[in-house]
Amino acid sequence: MNLQIQHVKKEFNHTMALADVTFAVSQGEFVSVIGPSGAGKTTLFRILNGMLPCTSGQILLDGIPFQSLHGRQKRRLQTSIATIYQDFCLVENSTCLENVLTASLPDLGFFSGVLGLYGKNREAEALQLLDRVGLLDKAEEPVKNLSGGQKQRAAIARALMRHPGILLADEPVASLDPVTGRQILELLRSIHETEGVTILMNSHNLEFSREFSQRLIGLKNGKVVFDGKATELTEEITEKIYTNPENTVRKNEV
Amino acid sequence: MNKRSIINNAKRWAVPISFLFLFFLAARFTGCDLAAFWKRRSHLTDLVADMIPPDFSYIRKILLPLFYTIQMSVTGTVLGAFFAIAAAPFAAANLKFPAALRRILRILIQVLRSFPALILALTATFLFGLGTFAGTFAITLYTFAIMTKLTYEDISAADPKPYLALCSMGVSRFQAYVHAVIPDIAPGFLTNALYLLEANVRHSSILGYVGAGGIGLLLNEKISWLEFDKVGMILLMLFLTVCAIEYFSRYLASLVRGERRIKKEHARLLVLFLAAVFVICTVTLSPPDFSRTSPQTLRNMLDGFLHPDWSFFFSTGKDGLFYLLLETVCIAFIGTVIGAVLSIPLAFLNTRRFVPAPVCFLFNLLIMGIRSVPFLVYGLIFIRVSGPGAFTGVLTLAVCSIGLLTKRFTESLDALDMRPYHALLAMGVRPLPAICHSVLPQLKPVFTSIVLYRFDVNIREASVLGLVGAGGIGAPLIFSMNQYAWSKAGAILLGLILLVWLIDLLSSKIGEQN
Repeated sequence: MNLQIQHVKKEFNHTMALADVTFAVSQGEFVSVIGPSGAGKTTLFRILNGMLPCTSGQILLDGIPFQSLHGRQKRRLQTSIATIYQDFCLVENSTCLENVLTASLPDLGFFSGVLGLYGKNREAEALQLLDRVGLLDKAEEPVKNLSGGQKQRAAIARALMRHPGILLADEPVASLDPVTGRQILELLRSIHETEGVTILMNSHNLEFSREFSQRLIGLKNGKVVFDGKATELTEEITEKIYTNPENTVRKNEV
Repeated sequence: MNKRSIINNAKRWAVPISFLFLFFLAARFTGCDLAAFWKRRSHLTDLVADMIPPDFSYIRKILLPLFYTIQMSVTGTVLGAFFAIAAAPFAAANLKFPAALRRILRILIQVLRSFPALILALTATFLFGLGTFAGTFAITLYTFAIMTKLTYEDISAADPKPYLALCSMGVSRFQAYVHAVIPDIAPGFLTNALYLLEANVRHSSILGYVGAGGIGLLLNEKISWLEFDKVGMILLMLFLTVCAIEYFSRYLASLVRGERRIKKEHARLLVLFLAAVFVICTVTLSPPDFSRTSPQTLRNMLDGFLHPDWSFFFSTGKDGLFYLLLETVCIAFIGTVIGAVLSIPLAFLNTRRFVPAPVCFLFNLLIMGIRSVPFLVYGLIFIRVSGPGAFTGVLTLAVCSIGLLTKRFTESLDALDMRPYHALLAMGVRPLPAICHSVLPQLKPVFTSIVLYRFDVNIREASVLGLVGAGGIGAPLIFSMNQYAWSKAGAILLGLILLVWLIDLLSSKIGEQN
């Protein structure tokens, strides 16, 4: 699935979160969005998965304009976008298996969805995915008993259950320690290689972004300031992305 | 299907199936018959139609008894809460007060907690004569028992290190409690007290039935004379009172929890105002009337309580204690379950998180309306539809449970982590299935503990339903007290104490599993 973001703008009560964001991600790419806190990364991701409307601009998924859809049509498109989050967003009291199965709710009828009648095949698939992320032995364990890394693995299994065209990873390792974080990213990379899913990641860990993604997009004050291969990102550009403009101005004045 | 999955399935279904089995067994036992209820529903609608419009000219006669009702609940709640915070440290396990004292206090609390406010009030009328003093005394005792339990549980859950640090510096234990523990538990304590204040308005509005003052006497009289426009007026006034107290206590609770800040002078004025309300309520209380209390009655009463009627206690017939208690438990059980089932959708309609503000406001009013009607009034109304017997009790408790359960459910919904729900919506799941799989699993433990708490309350309420002929242990209990048959009353009270204790053990077992 390819993604085109065209002149997306977002204002919250007259403060500009995204000024003018334009870039495209083609099928099968692994792209990282980098930038300082407050650059609008998370806002962009929430617009991309349809939880937040944008003020103006357009988002095209495989050429379909996403923002103009509502209700059932919007939900149908949302089913092909899977998201994993910094804080996992899992149902803590439910087991891993149940959490993974919730991802197949959009395919179920209304009543079977409410009652949670997923059927044998989906259950088998969910178990297979849990095996894929290395959590098969925790399938019947409530999520609240898992460690951070294990929770993120469960969240990845839930995302894969959707067979997504695009996987959005919103700060997937920010609440994990470096070693666990690396393991999670390695898992994402292997998924990217085997399933060929498009991955758009957002991270403020520059080292990880450089190492794992093919392309980087630098976001600053709601604008795209860099778009290129990881090798093209020089020290100079990095400094430009991560220094606060107000500080620079003050330095110049002095 | 392999062996392991069979065992897993059996485990998963064992609890719900046995629960359903118990439910239908209890429903049969209490004679629940929804078809008959539906056939006779016109009696209910006629009755409600009779209340509208209420007789507004009647308001002059209501105001004074309404004041007495508020007076009893304000004074009773404040005094009860005050005694509770003074007694609670002695009952808490982690503050290192003498163990013997702790055990005695806990037993006393457990015994007091077993009695409904109405029974306490009836006993108090034998000591202090008819009037608001007896009612206030009953409300004080009732509040004391509940608040002490809630407070010592809060203390046990609090961190004792600051307290022990003060003790190690040579501060006396009670002083250390005041300065190191109370600041920690104060917000929870005040929230609970405000909760009880509102509940006590309803409790004291029925104390008039046993001559303990307040609006209950009028209510009983007007219902039995079928003057429903006047009943409507009384209920309207009660509704307004409960609304006023509810909004005021929400305001106070937000101050206590630090969500809202006011200026120092305003805070001082507020405290002064609250103190003035308390003083006015307390000073205007009618003094106890000892003219009809004789040492002989007291001696008989005590003698009866100490020598319960064992043949009644152990008899297994239809008029024996065991049968009556079982009926009481069944009424409370079915009532609680029906109430809980109805409350869950209502709670979702009652919070701004899931529905737009106007819908939420409407349901807020509806639920407050349901809550403001005292439960014996529901009993008297339902008895016209379903006739005397346990089924009326079930209906009454089901409707009463909705008020409190919805309120608590809504609060826990408002405190809920919404991120998993949004994550499911982002994957394209429809709202209702998303609620079923992301919101409900998170709420299960909280809902269970709220329902168990309500079940405990309902046992006590079910044990006075007999007063209006709605089944259970209430009728024999109040009869025997009014006929001075103290040894029989003693046997029933002993049975109640054991029952509440048993239910307590059971609910803490269920609570541990969650």
